[in-house]
This record gives sequence, C-alpha cells and structure tokens, in this order.
Amino acid sequence: MNRKDSRSISATLAAATCSLLGAGIPAPVDAQEEPAWDFNTSLLYYGEDDDRVKDYSVSAIARRMFVDDRFLTIGLTVDVLTGATPSGAIKQDVPQTFTRPSGDGAYTVAAGELPLDDTFKDTRAAFTVGWQQPVGETSLINIGASASREYDYTHIGLNAKFARDFNRRNTTVSAGIALSMDNLDPVGGAPTALTPMRDVGDKSNRRGDEDKDVFDIVVGVTQVLSRNLVVQANYSYSNSDGYLTDPYKVLSLVDGTTGDTLSRVPTPGVDGPSHQFLFENRPDDRTKHSLYGQAKYYMNGKVLDASYRFMTDDWEIDSHTVDLRYRIPFGADRYFEPHLRFYTQTEAEFYRLSISDSQPLPSFASADYRLGDFDAITLGMKYGWKTRDDNEMSVRVEGYRQTGSIPGSQIIGSQATRDNYPDLNAIIVQFGYRF
Amino acid sequence: MKRTAGLAAVTTLLCAGCSAMGIEPWERDILAKDEMQLTTDEIEAATDDHIYFSKEASSGGRGFGGGGCGCN
Amino acid sequence: MKKSLFLEAILMACALTISPIALSDLPSGERLDLSDYRGKVVVLDFWASWCVPCRRSFPWLNAMNDKYAHDGLVIIGVNLDQEPESAAEFLQEYPARFQISYDASGTLAREFNVQAMPSSFVIGRDGETVAHHLGFKVRRQADYEAAIVAALQQETSE
Repeated sequence: MNRKDSRSISATLAAATCSLLGAGIPAPVDAQEEPAWDFNTSLLYYGEDDDRVKDYSVSAIARRMFVDDRFLTIGLTVDVLTGATPSGAIKQDVPQTFTRPSGDGAYTVAAGELPLDDTFKDTRAAFTVGWQQPVGETSLINIGASASREYDYTHIGLNAKFARDFNRRNTTVSAGIALSMDNLDPVGGAPTALTPMRDVGDKSNRRGDEDKDVFDIVVGVTQVLSRNLVVQANYSYSNSDGYLTDPYKVLSLVDGTTGDTLSRVPTPGVDGPSHQFLFENRPDDRTKHSLYGQAKYYMNGKVLDASYRFMTDDWEIDSHTVDLRYRIPFGADRYFEPHLRFYTQTEAEFYRLSISDSQPLPSFASADYRLGDFDAITLGMKYGWKTRDDNEMSVRVEGYRQTGSIPGSQIIGSQATRDNYPDLNAIIVQFGYRF
Repeated sequence: MKRTAGLAAVTTLLCAGCSAMGIEPWERDILAKDEMQLTTDEIEAATDDHIYFSKEASSGGRGFGGGGCGCN
Repeated sequence: MKKSLFLEAILMACALTISPIALSDLPSGERLDLSDYRGKVVVLDFWASWCVPCRRSFPWLNAMNDKYAHDGLVIIGVNLDQEPESAAEFLQEYPARFQISYDASGTLAREFNVQAMPSSFVIGRDGETVAHHLGFKVRRQADYEAAIVAALQQETSE
C-alpha cells in the first residue's frame, strides 16, 4: 500500500459508492418502514510477508434516505500503515547502507537481502460525501466530493455522475467525471530527478512539495438481457498531470559489465549511502484508457459475477484483469462466495532493474516493481450471514500473490545470479457489518 | 490508442442499439435482489480498488447505473 | 430516440382508449372482469413485493380507500409476483384494506402496457382510463389524489 495513493481511497470510495447507488436502490432490511439511515462498516487487515507493508483499516459509510429516492452518503476511512516497501535498489552480495528519505538518518540492509525502506509509519484519513437524486422520470444524478490526508499527501476531489434509462429501463446509459487535485510534500522534500542519494544531512538536491492533478471520465451502458442476466460495459479515460514520480524510490547505479552496484564512500564523519543510488524519475503526464465489462448471472439462487478489464496507457503498460465471484446461498440466511482474480501487466517503457554507468543516463527511469512485468492471482473466500436482528455480517479471507519477471535485456552481469523481482505475497482479512 | 477508442465506440453503439432486448418491468424480481446489483458491497469494492491501485499499475473501470428493480 | 418516443406516444394513446376487458386470475381461480365495476371509479395499481416504492404507496392507497370508497372508488392492487408467498409476506408487513388481485403471468399488465413498477391507472365510471402514473412519488400524492377526485366527480357519458 503506498501512502501517496490515498487519493484513490476517497476517489474509489466515492466511485464505488456511486456505482452501488446507481445500480438500483438496495432493498432495505425488512421492516415496517424503510429505515432512514443505512450503515456499512468494515475492519480490514492487509499484510504482506517478509516484513513488508501491513495495513489496518476501519471504514464506515452512512447513507441517509430522503423522500422519493434521494440519498446523502457520507464515508470515512482511517488507515494505519506499518512495514517496509522495496526502495527500488537491487540486492547485493555485500551489506548496503542507505540514507533515510528524511535525510536525517541511515539504515543498513544485510548482504543478499532485498533493500526495503521501513522509514514510514503512516496514518491516513479519507472522507467522502455524495448526494444522489432522480432527475425526471428516467434519470439519476450523483455529485460528490472527497478529501484525504496523511503526513505527506493531501487530496481533494469532486465527482459527478449521470445515468439515464431507456427501453423500459432495460438499458441504462451513464457518464461520470472526476477531478482530483493532490499535493505531495515528501519527508525531506522532493528530490531532484535522477540525482544521487546523498549523505545524511545533505539536502542539497531536495526541493519542496509537488502537485498532481487527475482527470477521469467514464461512460457506460448497462443492459438487462434476461430475468437472470444483467451486463455492463464501460470505457474510462484518465489523465494524470504533474508530479507522478515516487520521491522515495531509487535505482541502483551499476557497473555496465559486472552488474554490481557502484560503491561510494560517505563524507568523513558522516553517515551516508555505501553505494550509488539515483532517485527515480517518471514522466509528468500519464494517459490511460480502460475497457471494462461485467456480467451478473443468477442461476437458481446462486449468482456469478464475472468481469474483465483491459487497460492501456502511454507509459506502454497494458494490463488484463479477470475477476470472478460466485455466491452460493445456504438456507435463507447464509452464503459462501469464493473469489478468483487474475491480473497481468506489461512493464512501463521506462521501467528498469538498474541504471548502467556505461550507458547514457535515461530521461525517465524507475525500478518500482509496481511498474514492472508481472502476473498476479487472488484467491479468496467470503462468508456472509444475517444476524438475529436481520442485519448482515460477513468475513472474507484472501491471498494475493504477485510474480514478476525482468526482461533479459535488462539483466547485467552478476544480476543474473539473483532473484531480482520482489515478488509479493499478501493476505487480506476483512470483517463487514451492515445495519 | 485509436483502436481502443474505436472499439469502445462500436461496443457502446452496439449495446445502445439493443433496444429490442430486455424484459417487462414486472419481471425484475431477480434483478431487484441485493446480490444481483452490479456492486453488492461498496466497501468491499472500494477496498479492492484501493489495494490493487496501490500494488498494480491499473485502476478503476466500474461504471454507474442500471440493473436492479427499475422502480420509480 | 425520436422513433421510440413516437412509438411510446402511440402505445400511450392505445392504453388510454382501450376498453379494459382484460382478465386476470385470483388464486382461487376467479377472474377479474373490470366491466363489473362500471359506474365506479377504479384505481388499478400494479405492484410487486420486491418493488421498494410499492411499500410507500400502500399506506396512501389505504388512505384513498378509506376516504373515497363510499363515493364509488374501488382500488384493486394487481400483484405481479412470480411467487405468491412473496406477495403474502409483503401483505403481512403492509396490510391492504383494498382488493388484491393476482396477475403472475402479466396478462393484465401487458394489456395496460405497464412501463415501470409500480404503475397506477385511474379508470373512470365509463370504463375509460382517464389517468395513469409511473412509479410512486411521495411528493406527488396530492396530484395522484386530484386525478382520483376528478374521475369521481365526472358524470358518466351514458
């Protein structure tokens, strides 16, 4: 979990909230009158192995219904992040010392270990608010705002969605727009791109805070195909503009023949990096296109939810996602829902394992494994039940595994003897309570 | 990029032209069920979107509107 | 878009002028014959247990029944559930003081060209449909009631 991605909690909360609201007003819990307030709450644990990132999160969405299908929705999520994340530097057969992002300390990684930066423990809060109401006989509008804050990242955003029914409400056409304005104020200041990591206390290549704006558009069609089957297809366009680099990530500067990271001697009397590392640099613009299709199919009480998404962008990343959920009811009050997800992506054009000193310095470079070439699989199970007072509880446990590969052309010398890609294994446990 | 946009346009047009398809308004009992909504649990969907946005290079995709009971 | 609006207009005109001699089944096998209600104003309300706005409409329909039954108003709630148990459960939560009829096959709903759930049709004393509304909006209750009152006050043409 990357702390600078907090904008996405609120944005996706808003988006997910809106998509639920638009997808048909959920039938309230059996009662003499429809309850005015609806709550959806959750506790989440996300944990990667090998001392990597752990996230504990509490979420709540409160929805208040007003007369004639008008809704006010308020959402709040608080996350506590601990653990370490790969810094982008490669393993070496000798210990490596790095200056912390703050520039005020240093840490050492043992020989043969993947360099992880554990500097940050972070708490993040995200807030969303939305209003939905019908427009005329056949349309729906939803407007919302989102904001989030963590120690080095601030986000505010606005979103609006509109949907119109046709063909006796069998067809729905929708469009949505979202704008985000984010500010990143990295610990120690944003480093000048592709400059070396310096000694402790040397902030000469550090600047101040940076901005990022994101613009999203979604258009889609939902079609009822039969009593049991509804499908949806969407096209999304997203443009990010501004500071898109990860200020905490570096690349190892290696010898062009041996592939070993070039060593370095800190200034006498001061701690500093033992090897040469360069801060990464990404373009200041990114445009993404996505095509998404989903089907929900009801078979004798069981529901199959299948979706596919294709994404392509101007960083040359292509991805495919297949997501399958199968809900199996047991009696009137319980269900199991196995979940399977496949994901694959190709690397960004500027992704590389390391920077070679025998080649010209590239304009853009990143060793962030999240921009690399990898496959991922999620396997999970959810169990849900109705409580005695007719509220809903659920628990789900999922395992997420990423395995990546580095293109052969990027592997230099001794790098071939090591397993360079920081494969990811994570477990997700989530409790939900709706009342 | 142009191919994607063109494909998206064709897909959207095809679906929008499906005006003969569908069911009667009173046949929506199954589609009205909670478990048949396109997003059944908004927190779970938001959680997944966030996790995968943080660990992968893609995000989003879901849309808005449609399905359900079609009432009012 | 224009083509389907035109089509809808034609269908609406047909619905308004069609003489409602449609039939539907009660669980006991009785058929609903609307010509039995000539001389009365009939509100035909199509509902189903899964339709959330229907829960809001029932108290109002009960109130209309209480207020105007002695003036000649007959309310018939036409249930379109596929499973009769669902309708029974709904009626336990939201009891109806008006007549309930069952049309699981949708024959009557098709006759009246029901476009959304719920749908209400006000049929005048002469058997002609004089008003209808799609859905149930709490804020339009006054308008719905006005349509009923207008139909009740109309003299029959015969």
